[in-house]
Amino acid sequence: MKPIVVESLKYKYPGTDALALDDISFEVDEGEVIGIVGKNGSGKTSLSLALTGLIPHFFGGAYGGRVLVDGLEVRYSSVTEISERVGYVFDNPFTQMTAAKYTVYEEVAFGLENLGLNREEIIRRVEWSLKLLDLEGVKDHHPFNLSGGQMQRVAIAGIIAMRPKILVFDEPTSQLDPEGTEEVFQVIQNLANEGMTILIVSHKLEKIARFCNKIILLHQGKLVDFDRPQKVFSRDDLINYGIQPPIVTRVCRSLGIRDEKSGYYPVTVEEMRKLVKQNE
Amino acid sequence: MNLTLYVERDSIIHKIDPITKLIYCLVAASVPYIISEHMFTFFLMLISIALLFIGKVFRKMIPLYLLSMFIFITIVIIQGIFHPDNVTPLISFGPVTFFKEGLMLALLLILRIINMISAFGVLILTTQVDDLIQSLVKKGMSPRVGYMIGSVLQIIPHMSSMVSTISDAQRSRGLETEGKLSTRIKAFFPLIGPVIMNSLIATKERAIALELRGFNSRRKKTFLQDDKEFLFGKPCQLILILFFIGMIIWRILQ
Amino acid sequence: MNEIKIEKVSFSYDQKKPVLNNVSLTIQNPTTAIIGQNGAGKSTLVKLCKGLFKPASGDIWINGHNTKEYTAAQLAPHIGLVFQNPADQIFKHRVIDEVMFGPLNIGLSKEEAFENSMRALKKLGMDKHSERNPYDLNLSEQKLVTIASILAMDPPIIIFDEPTIGQDDYGKELIKHVIHELASTGKLVLTIIHDMDFVAENFERTVVMNKGEVILDGPTREVFARGDIILEAKLDTPQVIQIARAFGISDVVLTVDELIDRMRVHLGDSFPLK
Repeated sequence: MKPIVVESLKYKYPGTDALALDDISFEVDEGEVIGIVGKNGSGKTSLSLALTGLIPHFFGGAYGGRVLVDGLEVRYSSVTEISERVGYVFDNPFTQMTAAKYTVYEEVAFGLENLGLNREEIIRRVEWSLKLLDLEGVKDHHPFNLSGGQMQRVAIAGIIAMRPKILVFDEPTSQLDPEGTEEVFQVIQNLANEGMTILIVSHKLEKIARFCNKIILLHQGKLVDFDRPQKVFSRDDLINYGIQPPIVTRVCRSLGIRDEKSGYYPVTVEEMRKLVKQNE
Repeated sequence: MNLTLYVERDSIIHKIDPITKLIYCLVAASVPYIISEHMFTFFLMLISIALLFIGKVFRKMIPLYLLSMFIFITIVIIQGIFHPDNVTPLISFGPVTFFKEGLMLALLLILRIINMISAFGVLILTTQVDDLIQSLVKKGMSPRVGYMIGSVLQIIPHMSSMVSTISDAQRSRGLETEGKLSTRIKAFFPLIGPVIMNSLIATKERAIALELRGFNSRRKKTFLQDDKEFLFGKPCQLILILFFIGMIIWRILQ
Repeated sequence: MNEIKIEKVSFSYDQKKPVLNNVSLTIQNPTTAIIGQNGAGKSTLVKLCKGLFKPASGDIWINGHNTKEYTAAQLAPHIGLVFQNPADQIFKHRVIDEVMFGPLNIGLSKEEAFENSMRALKKLGMDKHSERNPYDLNLSEQKLVTIASILAMDPPIIIFDEPTIGQDDYGKELIKHVIHELASTGKLVLTIIHDMDFVAENFERTVVMNKGEVILDGPTREVFARGDIILEAKLDTPQVIQIARAFGISDVVLTVDELIDRMRVHLGDSFPLK
């Protein structure tokens, strides 16, 4: 069973005229890491919210088509049911803290208490999450006394403790400094290595290019492309979608450094070096 | 940074369970209104103060007592001079005469206030807010109400830093926020507007974050923290409640 | 010529931990970036320049005005600060009113304020949104409104706090354009920023701060040549430089075009592929 199946998804926020999501269809295989790109207002956040069930359950609005996560049809399931299958992390670390707990450890346990798990299981999962996110050193700190990057990792820990198979990150580093950004992307890489299925919305295309197997390109609520990063970032018309390819790709395009077989430009320095070496 | 007044100490009072302390606090604060006796109220007040000492937190109460001095002085003046039942002059300073009846009433009111502040002090200074909330939730209080109380205590201090950022941003655009009253009134909307908007956005985001972490789950909530062993829960509560009922009966029989 | 003169400034919020320690800096260049880790003292320094706090010791002159002698509001015509988060300032229901707020505060007439505001909005391509509610705009657009609200006061010196944060490529391009336009019309532009590629591409002078002190200051190219200090301040190296280094090019390149030219020489005849 595919972890994510989206069929002809259409969505309109209440009180608006334009479709935020316009006839979107795609499928994701288990363990894939997908980047979602497009300019502000292209529907990236709406698509993320649709995968978590917050669209339509929290936001209301007009909804058509189907979204299946781990076999569960989002439209007919509660957000709590979905949250055990899909985790969602967004940009603001501060508002993702419950503000009702006094230590990182308790903060991470919050969701598990709500799910009614027994204490042994809660402890097991909290410790597993803290370890995976390298937070064991700050487990007794107050969440609000952490740096942005650490706080965002606590938010991620609280989500993955609920053991979702799928994780959706909506601009997880847009409010962080370079150090925090690197921390969070490192963690996302670790989670990918654990075999989780991951979708990331981000403007940091260099990072996206490095981590993702595939890219979804959105524009005005429509899915323009869904393919390997090399192919999507090699498109001639990217500028029309408000996207600049990674610097490596731009340089390679100018210099004509591309993979001979596919005709696509590289998206990471490593790829570029390999291609240059082959030609020397 | 947060609003709780909890003081970490190793004392027997800290180890008593929050519900018992809550009941103590309510009983101790209300009984002096059932039995309006000076000596009785004084005795209750001594008990609360003794508990503060045992809890090693009495010193934290001193600022609060000092603050209430203003109220006490007001009470003494108003009741001592102006109470309608005043007939027996006790002491005069020039044209001002204090009467016995008024002063006795003022004394009772003051004892009641000190008693009440001290009883609440016993609860608040020796109990962690989340322990109290968790105990109440286990007793059947809605987890939502519990969450609200707990989070407000943490979010309000954060709001002050938000307000200062907003004030900086508007002052940068030429808004004077200090000086004449009219200047301050004019500064109100540019400051409060972003505060409200920011708070609404934060509330919406936090609601989403909570929703995603099963806050609305229909399953019975469990608790990470349960290991805390509290002392003399049931017997203390029983004694307190019997005492309270006893006082009511006493009052009726009188 | 516009000038920010910072002389032996020290500052602390709690009288214990100094946030700034004897900083001296004279800025006259059209474009200067201040870089450094969180907590290095960058934000505090620009807030002092704006007069939001006063130095504990030392002085700051903004075009000859000592910040100690003016309130932040009085300094508004001389120096503008664009805050990081648009939500911290927006409170009007129409974009045009939001932008006119500053000009009206500093004593312009309604007509002048309107004219200045429309001109500022036009410069940012936002004049078509002047009647809309700012809360209905997306983050890039809101940011442009807040920039316009400062430009409309027409201060000779403008400071940007993290202008590119949360912006998409389109928003970044617009902000880049605004900075160049301001510099070319004789304004002094100062920014504090984490985005190193944006610094390399757009600012002629760079100041590196660490633990409340200026540890390096000079033309941007020379600053990024000092990899040791960039590392010490725990900063990123711009990607263009990282790519150049991956191919053994040690010269400091600052823009994608420079990198392409340098790579072309480096690779010789092997590219483009036939």
